[in-house]
Amino acid sequence: MDFFDPVVIALGLAGLYMAWNIGANDLANAMGTSVGSGALSIKQVIIIAGVFEFVGAVFFGKRVTSTIAKGIVPIDTIKLIDPHLVVVGMLAAILAAGFWITFATFYNLPVSTSHSIVGAVLGFGLVSAHSGIIAYADINWLVLAKIVGSWLLSPLLGAAFAYLIFVLIRSLILQRADDPYAVEKKFVFLQVLTACYIAFAHGSNDVANAVGPLSAALSTLGLTDGTVPIWILAVGGVGMVIGLATWGYRVIETIGTKITDLTPTRGFAAQFATATVVIVHSYGSLPISTTHTLVGSVIGVGLAGGLAAVDLSVIGKIISSWIITVPVAALTAALIFTGLMGIGI
Amino acid sequence: MMRRKYIRSVLSVFAESPFRPLHMHAEKGADATRKLSEALEAYCAGDMARVEELSSEINVIEHEADVIKQTIRSQLKSSIMLPVNADDLLDFLKPQDAIPDTAQDVAYWLTLRKCELPDVIRDGLLELMSKSAETVEMYETLVDKLSELLETSFSKKEVKQTLAIVPQVEELEHEVDVIETNLVKTIFKHEDELGGAGVYHLAELVKVIGDIADKSEHAADRLRTMILRR
Repeated sequence: MDFFDPVVIALGLAGLYMAWNIGANDLANAMGTSVGSGALSIKQVIIIAGVFEFVGAVFFGKRVTSTIAKGIVPIDTIKLIDPHLVVVGMLAAILAAGFWITFATFYNLPVSTSHSIVGAVLGFGLVSAHSGIIAYADINWLVLAKIVGSWLLSPLLGAAFAYLIFVLIRSLILQRADDPYAVEKKFVFLQVLTACYIAFAHGSNDVANAVGPLSAALSTLGLTDGTVPIWILAVGGVGMVIGLATWGYRVIETIGTKITDLTPTRGFAAQFATATVVIVHSYGSLPISTTHTLVGSVIGVGLAGGLAAVDLSVIGKIISSWIITVPVAALTAALIFTGLMGIGI
Repeated sequence: MMRRKYIRSVLSVFAESPFRPLHMHAEKGADATRKLSEALEAYCAGDMARVEELSSEINVIEHEADVIKQTIRSQLKSSIMLPVNADDLLDFLKPQDAIPDTAQDVAYWLTLRKCELPDVIRDGLLELMSKSAETVEMYETLVDKLSELLETSFSKKEVKQTLAIVPQVEELEHEVDVIETNLVKTIFKHEDELGGAGVYHLAELVKVIGDIADKSEHAADRLRTMILRR
């Protein structure tokens, strides 16, 4: 097998589609708050997001990518039996995650790409164990537990951190200012910085969802040296930027026009908290949902009394999306894997 | 807008702010009161056609206020988190909604009966109306401060400034009470001249005009509770 094997090409294309989807929706969500508060125009946001997302993906995306590629399922063990299994398994995983994300997006469900790809890779691991390729104990349950724990923790951390930042802004700046509207104008500049920050953080964490499986396949085939090469991260980065430019601007537009309540001080608190939580998780090699963290951060600003109205029913929707995403993605990946093997691919 | 949007978004965490419609709703009360002042002047000048016309304009304003009120209520699901207590907000919306309602009542009473008024009663009515209108205007100033309160997320200074307006509304309402009591006495002094129906009509009119100030004071009081208990 080489780069031009149809299965490898399919993996690359599926990865690009996933990257496009992440750029079009998740990145756009993270950036939409800057447009909503009037800090940046849509054009400026797309340029900033494009540059920093790419840089984040390329220079800081390696850790999470290697978690997706080989942190959960022991591909090195499977490789010893047949490298082909890993390639097909990873193709099944990215296809399953891609299908689920596409479906969820059509129905506007708050589903995370990170949760989907983790569930799908796990599905591949489980079906391998089921068919005796590996033992169930070979699946890295500890890493999986850490990942799931981080999904619960990251929105809470976002909420707590955003709460703290906004309380500080309020007591140190807003309440001392003679003209609170002038303060908002000053925060516009800070929000330009947080827009860069959040794009960088997002790129560093979410590129893995698109190129993790591809990276696993290429390393199994010996086409890379076992670490995640920069060019794979660059492919993911380019895909996400294309997603933002070709579709994400509409999402940004929709969000930007509807969340006018999120003034620059509030937007800054929510984005800074989100970006920080995400980047800490990227450093800890944990794939989390930027969107869920952002929702947590917005609620944190609301809890601090910074927003006119926050709808907490979104929490229930997010929790049910957690519960449903992993089994659905896992089962789909298992079925696709079995199907692909069945037809002799 | 696309019919089926290919979008996963964080939008659903942002609920509609009830404070903007709340402000619009307060303005409806003030608008209705201004129209009513005009209507009373027309009444005193004997221009009943103009009174009818203004009365139906007030009906329209009152209806608009009702629609806004219903919108606010329907948006406040239990999952909505506000910087104030939602029950307090609804408690305050109720008396605020009574302001255009009462203005509508007064306009209705004006259309019922044409009246030849002694000068002293006419002047008394106009004075009562202008003081009631002043109370509503002061109340409107109070509601205007709400947006700044939200902007600074209830800074102590803004809260203090806002709450300082409440006693001013209360003071004006007290002045309205005094005018009201004296005016009713004057009306009964002229009972022979006015006749039973005339006295009844005027006494009721005085009562409802005074009610406008009453409701404003009540709403101001509720607004204070909402701000303090948040």
